[in-house]
Amino acid sequence: MGVNYITDEVKAVIGAESEPVEAFHPVEPSEVRRFHHATMDPARRYWDAEWAKQSRYGGLVAPPAFPAHAFRRPPAAPDPLDQMGDPDFDGRNRRMRPGLPPVEVPLVRLLNGGYDYEFFRYARHGERLFVKSRFKDIYQRDGKSGTMVFVVIEDLYSNDRGEPLLKTTNTLILR
Amino acid sequence: MKAPAFEDVLVGQEIPVLVKGPMTTAHVMRWSASMENWHRIHYDWRYATEHDKLPDVMVNGSWKQHVMVQLLTDWVGETGWLWKISFQFRGMNVPGDTLTAWGRVVRKEERGPYGVVDLEIGLKNQKGDEGTPGTASVVLPRRDGPAVPYPFDPGALGVATA
Repeated sequence: MGVNYITDEVKAVIGAESEPVEAFHPVEPSEVRRFHHATMDPARRYWDAEWAKQSRYGGLVAPPAFPAHAFRRPPAAPDPLDQMGDPDFDGRNRRMRPGLPPVEVPLVRLLNGGYDYEFFRYARHGERLFVKSRFKDIYQRDGKSGTMVFVVIEDLYSNDRGEPLLKTTNTLILR
Repeated sequence: MKAPAFEDVLVGQEIPVLVKGPMTTAHVMRWSASMENWHRIHYDWRYATEHDKLPDVMVNGSWKQHVMVQLLTDWVGETGWLWKISFQFRGMNVPGDTLTAWGRVVRKEERGPYGVVDLEIGLKNQKGDEGTPGTASVVLPRRDGPAVPYPFDPGALGVATA
């Protein structure tokens, strides 16, 4: 039995649920373009306005899982690069979702364990995005490289008309 | 490629693969910049290898997920719907890797006036190592059936008969 990372403070945030948090800006065509360039997905629904108008989407949309990465740092929020002088800083903070409290576990390495998605509709260009998040579970397991802490987060993304876009369950691993 | 109808799909069939790469540090940087991800393991080689003891900078899991999604959205086209997808990032991928997303049909079932097809999916590197095992469920129209609704409502599938 190694260290217990699931302290009372950590246990206290299991089940914590955020209010819907609005992304700082609406879905931008140029942001969508950078996304589908970077993922090398040339589907017309992201960029061909004439085609998209006639399609089932009724206009240009973003890639299916786009909303999961569309919550950007507001201009007045602290700059994460300010901490880059610290050689142990990994470039991320432990606030894993905008509306949820941080998970205070003294493990420095963070890995993305995987995703579970359910899709309902794609975000339209110009739409505002909202996310409601919940810590579904936080637990530890012993692995080859020592004890790892698994943080399981459920997110429900919706648009400004309250229409659901997608549901995700994301597992983050601290080790 | 014509989008498949439910009747076109055979259990055991492989769907067309989606190949990305060879991946380079520039591809990883482009993705990290597009999503404003400052996690050092994606661009700081010294941090990745010395601090985190990784073999190289890492291809982002968040990038790989979009590849897995694209594998299915390319296959079902504009008449089907990628309903559910799930995968685990078990293996690491690094610059130099050529990644092949693949899928195999494991089950098909009529649900309401539509068809649901379940697949095993994954993402292999050029050595054949599987790094991102998962599953997916897609909804396809039947040959003489109604269009799959958009936006998609799982209630349209009715109750599972199996």
